[in-house]
Amino acid sequence: MFRFPEGLYADIRIEYTEDAAYSFENGEVMSDTENVVSGAIIRVYDGKMWYTSVTNELDNIQSELDELASLAEPDPDIENDPMVKLFEVNRDTVLLFEGDNDIRKFTRPQRKELVESYLKECFDGSVPEIKKCGVSYYQDHHIKEFYSSKGAEIKQDFQQALVWCWFDIVVNDITTSGGRGFQSMELKDITGCYDQVRDRINRFLDFAKNAEDVTPGDYVCVLSPDTTGMFTHESFGHKSEADFMLNDKTLRDEWVLGKKVGSDLVSIYDSGSPLHRGYIAYDDEGTKPRETWLIQNGVLTGRLHNAKSASVLDEELTGNSRAQDFGFSPLVRMTNTYMAPGNMSPEEIIAGVEDGIYIYNVNYGTGQGTFTLQPNICYRIKNGKLAGPLRVNVVTGSVFKTLFDIDAVGNDFMICDTCTCGKGGQAMPVSDGGPTIRVKSLNVN
Amino acid sequence: MEREKIISTCSQSKVELEESRIKTFSKDSRIHTSYRVYDGSSVGIKYVQGRTDDEKGFAKAKENLALLRPYKFTLETGSRHRDKTEASCSDKELMDIARQVLDYLKEHHPDFIVSGSVTSERNFLSMENSLGLDHSNTDGNVSVNICFKHKDSKDIDDGWFGLGQRTFDFRKFTDMADNYLSNFTNIVELPEELIIQSQYYEYTGKFWEMLNAENLALGTSLLSGKTGGKVFADDFTLLHDVSDEETWNHTFFDGEGVVLPEDKHIFIENGVLLGGFADKRIADKYGVPHTGSADFNFVDTPNNGRVNFRIKRSEKTVKELLDGRLSVVPVRAHGGGYNEKGEYVTPVECAMLCDGERFIGRLPEFAVKGSIFDMFGKDFIGVGSDNPIFNDKQVLMKMNYSK
Repeated sequence: MFRFPEGLYADIRIEYTEDAAYSFENGEVMSDTENVVSGAIIRVYDGKMWYTSVTNELDNIQSELDELASLAEPDPDIENDPMVKLFEVNRDTVLLFEGDNDIRKFTRPQRKELVESYLKECFDGSVPEIKKCGVSYYQDHHIKEFYSSKGAEIKQDFQQALVWCWFDIVVNDITTSGGRGFQSMELKDITGCYDQVRDRINRFLDFAKNAEDVTPGDYVCVLSPDTTGMFTHESFGHKSEADFMLNDKTLRDEWVLGKKVGSDLVSIYDSGSPLHRGYIAYDDEGTKPRETWLIQNGVLTGRLHNAKSASVLDEELTGNSRAQDFGFSPLVRMTNTYMAPGNMSPEEIIAGVEDGIYIYNVNYGTGQGTFTLQPNICYRIKNGKLAGPLRVNVVTGSVFKTLFDIDAVGNDFMICDTCTCGKGGQAMPVSDGGPTIRVKSLNVN
Repeated sequence: MEREKIISTCSQSKVELEESRIKTFSKDSRIHTSYRVYDGSSVGIKYVQGRTDDEKGFAKAKENLALLRPYKFTLETGSRHRDKTEASCSDKELMDIARQVLDYLKEHHPDFIVSGSVTSERNFLSMENSLGLDHSNTDGNVSVNICFKHKDSKDIDDGWFGLGQRTFDFRKFTDMADNYLSNFTNIVELPEELIIQSQYYEYTGKFWEMLNAENLALGTSLLSGKTGGKVFADDFTLLHDVSDEETWNHTFFDGEGVVLPEDKHIFIENGVLLGGFADKRIADKYGVPHTGSADFNFVDTPNNGRVNFRIKRSEKTVKELLDGRLSVVPVRAHGGGYNEKGEYVTPVECAMLCDGERFIGRLPEFAVKGSIFDMFGKDFIGVGSDNPIFNDKQVLMKMNYSK
């Protein structure tokens, strides 16, 4: 199909994307769109560095490939380059979203009807404190083809649909913004979830009316399953991405496999196979994803790789080389990353706290040595029971300490399917998840 | 029936750095086109990425009039072309810069591992319509963005610095690198008085929410009901500014083709709230003036929100504003932000003590807090007339430590 140059490794990723959106805000239709975009990224590797080119003109792929090859320095022994040797040669077609399951068949009138159903059921004007509100719907469908000079030929697809119901509540001249989103590969999962939106409105209304400002300091914190998912992703997940430690002796010594990095209760794994937001049939180097246990019972057991990091660290491929779209080269990224459940009920976990904070949900988090979580809603825990809502701006902790400070893990495992992870200027759909957990001390501001 | 076309082209060559080595040379040049057809009450829109045929694009946009996307406003006219590009940078020159950057850092700062990118880009945006509108804006730069990590650090990285210039001056890069890295391992104590020195867009994000004319009208802004009143410091003036002097990759026209007098619009003048920002739709809906604030929505009708916030400069330099005091420059600070009451809290994982121009040493980790009404009110010191440290405008204001 393509004439790959001699003495070089090369791969080509072609993507065909169709998206559509419909949104309604403050009495007006804000968007009603359908778009089709196709493009490709061509990459050439000569054993020293990569040369890449991005184009929308699919007829020009061969000439782009030839031009990149002219810049590179061919190596007759390129097949024995440690990274090139690791690239898998899969030939497969995995199209899960065809026929009745193809989201592209969801028409404009159906999208409008879906949005209007949420508006009617959830924003009927009965909450006077809501001054702004809206419902947004978005869908996209991707077909991705991958060809390599080693002979890989892969075709796979991905699709998602998202409903986001949002509102601004004004109480005492202060605006509290909240919302509830639903994301899935299947429309049935995001249809008719009115009770969950109404519950979220009521919770934010209570928060807006009754929240007290937290007194900054260190607290015992209980994290809801949603929060645990974000915590898992930010506090540890990013440290498991091996591309940051390739030639860094300090980090390789710090994160040596077999080292105890957390309490016995902590087990974390990543896998691109489950049909959640981080799903991939193959990663963007053509590798089939594995289930990778990163921590088992507090012991570091694995990390996430692309072919480069796996070759440098002499470890197995994991299938975590991902790119946002054809405009980007792949990086080591998480897919679906979860903390495994334990045995305690959430009630038992909260009952063990005399004075602490329950983090109900979070806006976003960040993950360096110090990780951060920015909560939406928190509650005080008093004498083992949830008390009134608390206004908390940011929760921080050291990953090196916090994983040891987890002293209770719940049995209420849940997956959050609305997450987007940022790294290196690329936004990547991921899912995270976990159960209710308790941390002996986190800094709260 | 009128026709309008917006074209955006971004041509980029980039050298990516990883672990103090060149990892990738990449090229990306894509064209985005938005075709609009107006019938007086609605607009039909068609977006195309890649090469396209105008007649097909307008034909599809005309078909999309059936979607009844409302647009009743008068189209803009006028002709202006602004080209801010200076020296061009070939791919070979870009690779040479990347090698120079790495060689310098390895020789002068061997204890640091760096990643990042050296990028050359040229951005072009044009808008034309059948009534004679003919605007275009071109800008380009070479930028070096360096993420650094000390070899003994257990963190993924310790901080970053970046320098973007229309004509690349290697000396400015080495000055910046030396400033960030030379005293990085010199640990110093936190000063008693916390004066933050930073690129001010780190702290002006809340104004997007507070100055949105719709939020002001609906009572969902912290500034609702305060128009005409004194809310901030006497010397705090906040404006949209895309003038020749201040522009950096911003067009002088908005997504509806509006060009503002002197390319500026003031929202807060000497602490007094004058009004919010509005595109034509929001202005019409709430009876306020439009401020040329429509975004470039290529796929649908424009939205309100294109604002290039700038704080008016003081006549004093950063050092003069400090008047002998020391400042704190956050190098890695994220995770918090403003809450709904306008109170700001963020952990600062890495910060440098500074005399206004040169870094003195690295500070221990701390959390910073303040209220937006104080930070740009009684605690506002000013924006320097010069651009030390970042090669960009920077704000000075007092803030507080949090536990």
